[in-house]
Amino acid sequence: MKDKIGIVVGIGIAVLVLVTLYFYVQNIGNLELEEIISIIIVIILVALVLYILWDRIKNIKRGLPAQDERLKITNYKACYYGFIASIWSAVLSPLVSGIFFDYELEGHYVTAIVVLCGGLAFMISYLYLAWQGK
Amino acid sequence: MKTRIKEFRARYDLTQEDLARKVGVRRETILFIEKGKYNPSLKLAYDIAQALNTTIDELFIFNENK
Repeated sequence: MKDKIGIVVGIGIAVLVLVTLYFYVQNIGNLELEEIISIIIVIILVALVLYILWDRIKNIKRGLPAQDERLKITNYKACYYGFIASIWSAVLSPLVSGIFFDYELEGHYVTAIVVLCGGLAFMISYLYLAWQGK
Repeated sequence: MKTRIKEFRARYDLTQEDLARKVGVRRETILFIEKGKYNPSLKLAYDIAQALNTTIDELFIFNENK
């Protein structure tokens, strides 16, 4: 039951993100390169989340648990990598932007970079560790 | 760590999925344990041994040199 609630909540959040993204794209007017890159990263993250949810649904249908002890450990490790990526992106993104592009990043851009880098690091490490069985 | 899970599964004509269902884990977890890529918890090792009517030390071969 807990697994099913998790899956329903996950699908709900993914749909809400896509709806928000749709309204954002509708109202923004001209899309610039950094916005296009951010949108693509968000779409990749949603696609990966949907893949993980589909994998869990498949297991539940077969009578197997959606998550077991190995995946819980994988989850903790991926959270750790996501956290490290968030911290480093918060530190490095303003520095890189200032030093290499001579441009001072605004706070909301740094927040977006931190969320996207953390999310991407979490997803990539989760899928890698899950596939490798480490 | 080497295991004899595959050998015991064959003895009882169980697939990885059957064993996974018996011990309440995903099929991939059994696969990774068989390959020696994942070290199960003591509880899971005990559950697998119970499901295969054997003991932990019969099922898992611990290599001290590694």
